[in-house]
Amino acid sequence: MSVTLDQPDLAQSTDVAVQLSGVAKVFGHGRDAVTALENVDLTVAPGEFVCLLGASGCGKSTMLNLVAELDAPTTGTITRNTTRPAVMFQDPALMPWLTAGRNVEFALRLAGFPRTGRREKAAELLKLVRLEGQERKRPHELSGGMRQRVALARSLASTHRTGAEDRPALLLMDEPFVALDAMTKDVMQGELLRIQAQLQSSVLFVTHDVREAVRLGQRIVLLSSRPGRVVREWQNTPDEDSPDLVDEINAKLREVISTHARKSA
Amino acid sequence: MPASPPDADLAAVSAGLDALDAPAAATRPPLWKRLTKSLLPPLVTVVIVIAVWQALWASAWWPEFKLPAPLDVWGEFWATASSGELLDVVWTSVHRAVLGFLAGVAIGTPLGLIVARVPVVRAAIGPLLIGLQSLPSVAWVPAAILWFGINDAAIYFVVLLGSVPSIANGLVAGIDQVPPLLPRAGKVMGAGRIDAARFILLPAALPGYLAGLKQGWAFSWRSLMAAELIAISPQLGMGLGAYLSHGQDFNDMPKVLAAIFLILIVGVGIDLLVFRPLERSVLRARGLTSAL
Repeated sequence: MSVTLDQPDLAQSTDVAVQLSGVAKVFGHGRDAVTALENVDLTVAPGEFVCLLGASGCGKSTMLNLVAELDAPTTGTITRNTTRPAVMFQDPALMPWLTAGRNVEFALRLAGFPRTGRREKAAELLKLVRLEGQERKRPHELSGGMRQRVALARSLASTHRTGAEDRPALLLMDEPFVALDAMTKDVMQGELLRIQAQLQSSVLFVTHDVREAVRLGQRIVLLSSRPGRVVREWQNTPDEDSPDLVDEINAKLREVISTHARKSA
Repeated sequence: MPASPPDADLAAVSAGLDALDAPAAATRPPLWKRLTKSLLPPLVTVVIVIAVWQALWASAWWPEFKLPAPLDVWGEFWATASSGELLDVVWTSVHRAVLGFLAGVAIGTPLGLIVARVPVVRAAIGPLLIGLQSLPSVAWVPAAILWFGINDAAIYFVVLLGSVPSIANGLVAGIDQVPPLLPRAGKVMGAGRIDAARFILLPAALPGYLAGLKQGWAFSWRSLMAAELIAISPQLGMGLGAYLSHGQDFNDMPKVLAAIFLILIVGVGIDLLVFRPLERSVLRARGLTSAL
């Protein structure tokens, strides 16, 4: 068993942002042990947008936690050749006592960004998510979509560790738009694509919504449930007819889910 | 991937949604309206209480030494105030209560933090802290006098036992109610244990902590009154409790009532002048304005 989360050697750094090889995660011990992930191999290239798709219990969130170093894999290795990952949750999780600007500045501070220039950097990040001039608003004064954009700006801020400027950024997103209404969600997806194209960062985006995955992902990875394994991957090329791809992935997802009915019956 | 709408369109829709979905800024009514709304009801209450009191006195149901006229109590109050004695008495008690309360904060805060964050400590002394909160601190006065004698140490001991449990328990409750997602968000941003406690846990627990402080003040004040009523000695000086006891010794009902009102006024006054504004600003900053 080998578990390493070290910075990889720079030789392979150009074509790999994140690499999971043979990763498994077991929670608990003995008879109560639950295998959340089993033998997962996945590589994310720099600047690539990968959507992890799966039904409940496929270990999507576990996988993000492992990459974010919130948890350690039971077996296997995860190599990451990026900045500290920017993590976004379903909930914006903003500090309710801080203004939008201060929330972003707080992330910069934790990232070791020098005090001078923090405010300018925060304003710049808020401008990137189209919240220019909203620095002084508190979270409760913003709409759900605006809050989630502050959260995006804040997560991007945490990638600004000094001394790591040359590394590509990595965004880990755990169903970040699931709590938003349809229209806001649509706009947020557009904004995310715009920002990702502008920053050229790698994204690992967890969702259970096939349409969302097809809209956003350059590559879509379907995971099975209990334990989570990679079932299939699709390349989502811009010229491909996407309704067909949605149908195809939906069919496969249904198939994966149906196997659980037979198992438990 | 399907073609995304052009950037300008996206910006326009995004700005439109922001304008529509953002909660409307609450408009504050003019100052005179707010003042009448907050000052008028308590003033009316005071007027009614005095009117009922006056009526009861006028009916001569009770003898004068049991129920004096409101004006007699005011006369006693005014006489003490104009001789300068009142200020001395109130100052003696208030400065003791404030010092005792501040010491309570200094002890109760780290204690609460440890109880909240260290499971063994919580299991060991958590129930004790809650029990101490329901134990009337006047019960400690005899022990304090036997241990320390009739002096300031005894009084501060009683005040501390009154305030520390409330303050610690308030902080524990505040920390327990912090949404777990906030420390988690801090962790992914790279916050260590100390940073997380300082910048996330403590500010997030502030509303509960403030409630604890408020209660801690109330307990300090009433513990002090209990201690001053029982522990009376010339070298302790004359506090409000001793003043009240004097009234009893001389069968001076106006003095007794004046002392009770003073104790009440100081307690309410500190709450209104110190804790209410603090609480308001903390809750308003978080958008928790329903109770304001």
